[in-house]
Amino acid sequence: MFKKILFATSGSPCCDAAARVAFDMAVRYNAELFVFHVLGVPSRGFSHVVVDVRTGEKVELDADYIAWVQEELKNTYERQLRSGARCTIEAVVGLPHREILRKARQEDVDIIVMGASTTGCEGDSEAYPKHFAGSTLQQVAKASKAPVLVVNRPAASFWGGFSTIVFGADFSRASEYAFQFALKTARELGAKLYVFHAVDIESQHGLISQQEIDDRMLEARDRIRRKYLLQAKGYKDVSADVWEGIPYVEIVKYARERQADLIVMAHHSRVTSDGALGRTLEQVLLRASCPVVSVNRPDKVVDND
Amino acid sequence: MAKKILIIDDDPNIVTYLEDIFQDNGYATCKATDGADAMDVVRSERPDLITLDLEMPKEWGPRFYRALTQDEEFSHIPVIVISGLAGNKYAIPKAVASFTKPFDRDELLKVVKETIG
Repeated sequence: MFKKILFATSGSPCCDAAARVAFDMAVRYNAELFVFHVLGVPSRGFSHVVVDVRTGEKVELDADYIAWVQEELKNTYERQLRSGARCTIEAVVGLPHREILRKARQEDVDIIVMGASTTGCEGDSEAYPKHFAGSTLQQVAKASKAPVLVVNRPAASFWGGFSTIVFGADFSRASEYAFQFALKTARELGAKLYVFHAVDIESQHGLISQQEIDDRMLEARDRIRRKYLLQAKGYKDVSADVWEGIPYVEIVKYARERQADLIVMAHHSRVTSDGALGRTLEQVLLRASCPVVSVNRPDKVVDND
Repeated sequence: MAKKILIIDDDPNIVTYLEDIFQDNGYATCKATDGADAMDVVRSERPDLITLDLEMPKEWGPRFYRALTQDEEFSHIPVIVISGLAGNKYAIPKAVASFTKPFDRDELLKVVKETIG
């Protein structure tokens, strides 16, 4: 299931929780782990200088600096490296999302593990309350063929393995791929799978009648049965629930109540012009108490092994 | 009869330290060094309270807590999280309290006393 894992890290404390999950997955599932850091080029064009992640200062780029960054990454993850994970550490120069996607393609990884954002991580976290996913994650999640696992809050990294999975259903095309990933993961790891849909009553203008809510919930249950549960035939540890409310709040609440250790969702429910993360997914991955996987494409999801 | 506290932690120094604190204050103790073994200890020892580490080699604390709360017989046992991990107070929202190592022993004893007497 997880034979090759790409852990894309800025090397900052924002990625500590993602590191905990990435290294734990590598050991637990005997996967090959690529710890990958991109030294960002500060402009669109070619440059001889990069911005140091820790100091924020511009630094002359040369082989020595890259070697030093790799050494620093080894120091940063010294404790995790002692866990026995099969791991290589690499630092390259370029636009972060482009290099991460390139590396993922090159190694044909099964999953990419990332933090949600580096902005506001250090020192100024009160000024940046992190209500938005970072641009690198947005770009990677949009274009990646492999599912992208995001760990934002430290509390999301305390589970150690996946055995209770919540699939946030939205009935979109990408959601079909996400469900296949969730089902495949549940089957291979022997996990419980909860299919969950939240009927959105937030975007309605004015009061919505209880009958309409009930009707929409009945309709959602029927769609879940036809679209997802029939696919899961033969797998007994799967059940479905429909709640009403603000979708991202309900998904986070449901995962908390079920004590889920993984949430799987589609990248977005509607095709947007900029291909950004859906609002519900973005808020879930920022707020969840467990890792969240975004699935956008079928490539690494549909059974081919 | 003395109230019994189960200490779940993979660090033997922490286990010894907690045993000393609790036994000096009239509590009985038992221990488990991993979440994976802890449910067996819960069944055999039937503790009144559990102190729980989060990061352990085989099974992490939240996973043990999930198993505990899914067993009706033991789901009422109060849990106190004691961990070195930042953000540990959010790991188990229904825990009685969360302490970050190094912690204040008097604060811990106060919470234990409030919880089980």
